[in-house]
Amino acid sequence: MAHVSNRTIFFFVLAAVCIVLLILSSSNRIAPVEGAAMQVGRPFLLAFSEVGRLFSNVITTARDLATLRARNNQLQTVVDTLTIDNLRLKETEAENERLRSLLRFAQLNPNYDFRGGQVIARVISKSPSNYLASISIDLGAEHGIKPGMPVVTERGLVGRIHKVGPLSSTVLLITDPSSGVPALIQRNRLVGVVSGRAGALPVMEYIPQDADISVGDLVITSGLGGGFPKNLIIGQIVEVRQRDYEMFQQATIRPTVNFDRLEFVLVITNFVPLPGEPGEPDSVG
Amino acid sequence: MIVAVGLGVLVQATLLARIRLEGAAANLPLVIVVCWSLLRGPLEGALWGFAGGLLLDLVAGLPLGASSLALMAVCPLANLGKKSIFPGRSTLPVLLVLLATPVFGWIVLLARAMGGLAVDWLIATVRIIGPEMVLNALLTLPAYPVLRWLATQTRPTAMEW
Repeated sequence: MAHVSNRTIFFFVLAAVCIVLLILSSSNRIAPVEGAAMQVGRPFLLAFSEVGRLFSNVITTARDLATLRARNNQLQTVVDTLTIDNLRLKETEAENERLRSLLRFAQLNPNYDFRGGQVIARVISKSPSNYLASISIDLGAEHGIKPGMPVVTERGLVGRIHKVGPLSSTVLLITDPSSGVPALIQRNRLVGVVSGRAGALPVMEYIPQDADISVGDLVITSGLGGGFPKNLIIGQIVEVRQRDYEMFQQATIRPTVNFDRLEFVLVITNFVPLPGEPGEPDSVG
Repeated sequence: MIVAVGLGVLVQATLLARIRLEGAAANLPLVIVVCWSLLRGPLEGALWGFAGGLLLDLVAGLPLGASSLALMAVCPLANLGKKSIFPGRSTLPVLLVLLATPVFGWIVLLARAMGGLAVDWLIATVRIIGPEMVLNALLTLPAYPVLRWLATQTRPTAMEW
């Protein structure tokens, strides 16, 4: 019988441990251990996150310098236009305020439904893996965070709570290939599903062939399926792909949220996804 | 070395994850494990791959054990270095990292697929593993000399029993 060295045995023992852990983790049986470990690592992540953010800012600034002059001229033109628009808007805003108080318009604005339930969270790290588009935030089960809660910024939808630890949580971004968000095109109310794509912009799928969609159309959440609230902005169509032999059209979406520069996010805590929705993944807390 | 592995995971999570090429970031723990396997042998590399992988999974939210298994699987590639025909001292680690990156990626993707998540193998290979190979190879150039110096300052971990 061939001699097997201790080193080889040691290697295979470690591999076996990995496989056992993988099975236990996938079936959510060691969630408390994972939660405790996340809690231990949280202060280190917080400290390093600040350094990372500073470093990232330096690189971004250096990259931006090359296009700064041209951008400056463009922006000056935009500022001139916006100054005029701003004056007009202020007038409109004042008029709007008066009308609101008269018509109790505020009660009909769906955005206000979530305002009381928002919690502000700080992004403490981005996923270090290329195979999962996620971020970690400094709020967990102790702050009332639960799996499936939608996460947004003032610019639009970020994702949903994926895993929850006692003091931190993982947010699955809408750019992850396993993420699917029921959506509609604001202009004509056509529905579809926005899915992430590996290393590329997300796409809106299942749009009928004869549907009228075009570049620039805004895409918002439809609220269908109960996984996400309605009317959250997702992004803008930047490319439409229509092939005669396919059943559906596909639109590439540029998210309004800049996922590379996320610092603070809002967790909508008073929205509970319907049972069985993908908004209810495993919890490690 | 455990400090270097822990530091590598923290730098990966907070710093390198922000620097992306075509949506992919460099993988420092993978580079460390491959270089260390080359310097100290696959078994010691596997030990640190196991520890680093667990940390990586905890921080990333991946199923526990997925990255460990993938990092351990790339360590035997260091055996190729024993019969190397490449004379340059930095050529071999770069080539090994280029080989190890897709092996690591496919094992992590397999773990995700086994967890019930949809995986598009072709797109993931072209859009993530491809750019990651370039970034990892570039990262190896400064990382290997640092790890070689670290190897001269520390003693091999005793693992015989």
